[in-house]
Amino acid sequence: MLALLFKNFIRSKGTKIGLIFLLIIGFISLLIGQQFQQKQHNTITEAAVYQKEHIARNAAFHKDEIGLLLYYIKFSLVNKTLPINSLAIGQRDVNPSIQSVTIRGLEAQKYDAELNNPNNLLSGNIDFSFVLIYLFPLLIIAFSYNLVSEEKESGTWKIVATQTENTFLYILKLFYIRILSLILLLTIVLFVAVLFLNIPFDTSLLTFYGLSVLYILFWFSISFFIVSLQKNSNFNAVILLTIWLFLIIILPAIINTYVVNKYPIPEALELTVKQRNAYHEKWDMDKKITMDKFYNHYPQFKKYPLPEGEFNWLWYYAMQQAGDDDSSKQSQELENKLQQRNNASQLIAQFIPTLHTQIQLNEIAKSDLGNQLLFLKETKLFHEKMRLYFYPKIFDNAEVSKENWSKFKVETFSDSSEISLLKAFLPLLLFNLVLICFGWRNFKRKVFS
Amino acid sequence: MKLLQTEILIAKHLKNSVFKNSAVFIITLFIGLILLYAAFSGWENYTNQNETSEKYQHESREDWLKNPDKNPHRMAHYGNFAFRKSTPLSVFEFGMEPFFGNAIFLEAHKQNTANFSEAGFSNSMLRFGEISIAMVLQILLPLLIFFLGFNAVAAERENGTLKLLLSQGISWKQLLLGKVLGIASVIMMLFIPTIIVLVFIWLLLQNFTISVDETIKMVLFIGFHFIYLIFFCVIAVLISASSKTSKKALISLIGIWLVFTIILPRTTQAIGAYIYQAPSKIQFNSDIEKDILKQGDSHNPNDLHYKAIKDSLLSVYKVDSVQKLPFNYSGFIMTEGEKISSRIYNKHLEKLLQVYEKQNSFSKTISFFNPYIAMKNLSMGLSNTDYDSYIDFQKQAEEYRYNMAQKMNALQVKYISNKKPGPNEKPLTINKEHWADIAEFHYETKGVSDVLKSEIVSVISIILWIILLPVLIRIAAKNLKAI
Repeated sequence: MLALLFKNFIRSKGTKIGLIFLLIIGFISLLIGQQFQQKQHNTITEAAVYQKEHIARNAAFHKDEIGLLLYYIKFSLVNKTLPINSLAIGQRDVNPSIQSVTIRGLEAQKYDAELNNPNNLLSGNIDFSFVLIYLFPLLIIAFSYNLVSEEKESGTWKIVATQTENTFLYILKLFYIRILSLILLLTIVLFVAVLFLNIPFDTSLLTFYGLSVLYILFWFSISFFIVSLQKNSNFNAVILLTIWLFLIIILPAIINTYVVNKYPIPEALELTVKQRNAYHEKWDMDKKITMDKFYNHYPQFKKYPLPEGEFNWLWYYAMQQAGDDDSSKQSQELENKLQQRNNASQLIAQFIPTLHTQIQLNEIAKSDLGNQLLFLKETKLFHEKMRLYFYPKIFDNAEVSKENWSKFKVETFSDSSEISLLKAFLPLLLFNLVLICFGWRNFKRKVFS
Repeated sequence: MKLLQTEILIAKHLKNSVFKNSAVFIITLFIGLILLYAAFSGWENYTNQNETSEKYQHESREDWLKNPDKNPHRMAHYGNFAFRKSTPLSVFEFGMEPFFGNAIFLEAHKQNTANFSEAGFSNSMLRFGEISIAMVLQILLPLLIFFLGFNAVAAERENGTLKLLLSQGISWKQLLLGKVLGIASVIMMLFIPTIIVLVFIWLLLQNFTISVDETIKMVLFIGFHFIYLIFFCVIAVLISASSKTSKKALISLIGIWLVFTIILPRTTQAIGAYIYQAPSKIQFNSDIEKDILKQGDSHNPNDLHYKAIKDSLLSVYKVDSVQKLPFNYSGFIMTEGEKISSRIYNKHLEKLLQVYEKQNSFSKTISFFNPYIAMKNLSMGLSNTDYDSYIDFQKQAEEYRYNMAQKMNALQVKYISNKKPGPNEKPLTINKEHWADIAEFHYETKGVSDVLKSEIVSVISIILWIILLPVLIRIAAKNLKAI
C-alpha cells in the first residue's frame, strides 16, 4: 500500500520538478556558502600577510620613536568563522569578521563598517538557511494542499473511503511519504554539505539538522491542519500561501519594524560625536587634568611623571585614553541598547517559528547579532591587552629594535557560547504538537462520522 | 461612454461577486490595516532618523566652531561628520536604507567608512525584509490581485457561463477588458485611500511647503505604481482566461508571483555577486597603501618624490633650507600628500564601484522580464534610497572632506610660521575665526532628472510593459477558445 502510494506520488511530473528544483537550488546554496567560506579564509590570510608587512615596514621607518610607531601600527583580531557558517551566513556579510585597531582610542575604531554592495545585502544571500526557511515550505504546500480535496473533487474519494479500512491511516500515509521524501532531500543536501564544506560532525551540526527537521515537520503540521478542515483545493492553496506569506514576509517585517522603532539608537551618533570632543579638547586643556585622569585609571603608571616640554607621548596616549574613558558612558549605553534589541527580537521570535528557526540557525553558525556583540567585547579586551603591553614601553621610550615585532600575529576570537537545546527545539515542538492535535480532532469529527 | 458599456457591466458584476465573498473582504481589510501600520511606522522611523541626524549634525557643527585658536592641522584631524538624511518619500519606500551607513567621520589623510547602519545594529530578523507602503503596493497587492482574479474567466468556463456570455454577442476583448476593469476597481478601493493618506503625510512632513522636484518625484511614484498594479490585473485575467480550470489558473498565478517577487530578485543578485567578486576591506586598503607608497611616502624623509619637490622648491626660492622658505613647508607637503592619496583612493574606489555595478547589472537587466524589479528600482530611486543615491552621498562626503583638509593645509601654508617652536614654546596657532570659513556639510539629494537617468533601464522596461499590455489582450482575444 505504502509503496503504491509512493509510486503514485513520485510519478507526478510536478513532484519530480519540485524535488529536482529544490535539490539543485540546495546545491547552489552550498556553492554560495563555499564562496563565502573561501572569501573569509582569503581575508584572514591576507590580514596575516598584511599585518606582518605593515608592522615590519613601519618599524623600519620609525625606528627611533616607539610612541610614533604605535601611532601607526594596527593589530588585527579575527572573529572565527566556523565551517557551518556557510550554511547560515546570517549577519556575517554585514558585519566585519576582522577588526584592525591601533592602540589609540578604541571608540573611534570599533564600529568601522565592512565594504559592501548594499544591493547584495538588500536582496540577501541564497545560503542553505534561505532554501530551508523560504523554499522547503513552498514545496511542502505544493505537495499537500490538494490531499483529500483533490480526490473529493475528482470523485475518487468515495472509492478510497469504501476500499480502505481506516481512512485516517490512509491520510497519515499520504503525509508520511511526503515527509519522508523531503527529509531525505534535506539529509542528502546536508550530507553533501558536510563533505563539501568540511563541516565537522559535532553537536552544532546535529542541532542544526534537528532544527531543520523540526522546521519541515512544522510546515507539514500546518498543512495537516489545513487539510483536516476539508475545504476545496483552491481554498487550501490560498490559505496555505497566505500563512506562508504571513510567517515569512509580513510578521517578521512587522516585528522588525516594531523593534527598530521601539529601540532607536541615537546613542551611536552621540557616542561618535562625544568621543571626538573628549579626545580633542584635551589638547587645549591643562595637561595636569588629563594626566590625573590617566593615573586614576592606571595607578600602576604613576611612576611615570610627566616630563617637561610641550609634547611627549605619555601625554598623547593619556589624551587618547581620555577619549575612551570620557565616552565610556555612551559606549555602555549603546552596548546595552543593542543587547536589549537582541533580547527583544529573540523573545518575540519564539512565537514565530520561521523567525525562531532562522535566528537559532544563525546562533548555531555564530552569525547573528549575539556573536557580533561578543566580538565587539572581545575587541575591547584585545585592545586593552595591546595597550597595557605597549604603554610602559612607550613611557620608557624603549628601543624599537629591541622588540620582537614578528611575534605580533593576527589573533582569533572563537565564540564558545552554547546553544540551549531546550530553547531551540521547544517552540517548534509545541507548535507541531498543537497543530497535529487540532488536525487530528478535525479529522476524527469529519472523516469517521 | 456608450462604447464601454458592456465592459463596465462586466466589471460591476465582478466587483459585486468579489464582495459577496467574505474571505476577500477580510483580506482587503487586513491589507488596509497593514498599510496603516506601514505608514505609521515609516513616519516614526523617518522622524527618528532625521531628528537624530539633524541634532548631531548641528551639535558637531557647534563643537567645530567652539574650538579655540589652534594649528589648522589639529583642526583637520578634529574633523567633521557627514550624517545621512532621508528624503520625505523614504517614509514610504525604505529601499536599501537599513544597509546604509549613517555617519562618516571626515578627517585629513583618511577616508573613513560610513558607519552605524541599521543592519549592523539588527539581528537577522531584518533580512526577512521590512514593511513599508511600497512593499505592500509592490508585493502584497499583486498577490491580492491574483487571488481576486484567478477565477475571473476560468470559473465562468468551469460552470458553463462563459459560452453563454460569448454567444450573447460579447466579444473576448470586451470580456477581458471588463474583467480587468472589475479587478482594478476593487484594487483602487485600497489604492486611492492609500494615495490620499500618502500625499497627506508627505505634505505634513514638509510643512506644506513642497519643492517642484519633490512633487514630480511624488507624482511619478504614484503614477508608476498605478501602472504596475494595472499590469498585474491584466496578467491575472489573461492567465485565468487561458487556463482550463480555476485551480490551474491559481497555481500558475501563484507561481508567477513567487518567481517575480521572491525567487528572481534574490537569484539574479546572487548570480552577479557570485560571478564578480568584490575585494575585502583589508585587500582594498592594502592595495591603496601600496600604491601610495609607490607614489611616495610623505612620512619617509628619504622618499624620492618628496625629495624632488623639496629640491625644486629650494632652487626656485634660492634658499638652502626649508626653514627659510617664505611659507610653511610641511603644510605644502601635506597639500601634495592629500592630493596624491585622495587621487589614488578615488581610483581604487572607482574600480570597486565598477565591480559593484557589474554585480548589479544582472538584476538590472532582468527588470525587462520582471516588472517587480523595475518598479522596486524605480521607487527606490525616486525616494533616494537606491544604490546610486548612497554612492552619491559617499562621494559628496568625500568631496567635502577633501576640500576641508586642503583648506586647513592652505591656512597652514599661509599663516603658520616656518620656524618650528622650541621644545618649551607654545605651539603655533591661528585665530579661531577661520573655523567658520568651512561651510557645514550639506547633503544634496539627487534631483528627479538624475534619478530617471540612473534608473533609465527600469523606466524603459515599464514603458515596454505598458505597450505590451494592449498587444497581449488583442492576441488573447483572437486566440482564446470558450471551452
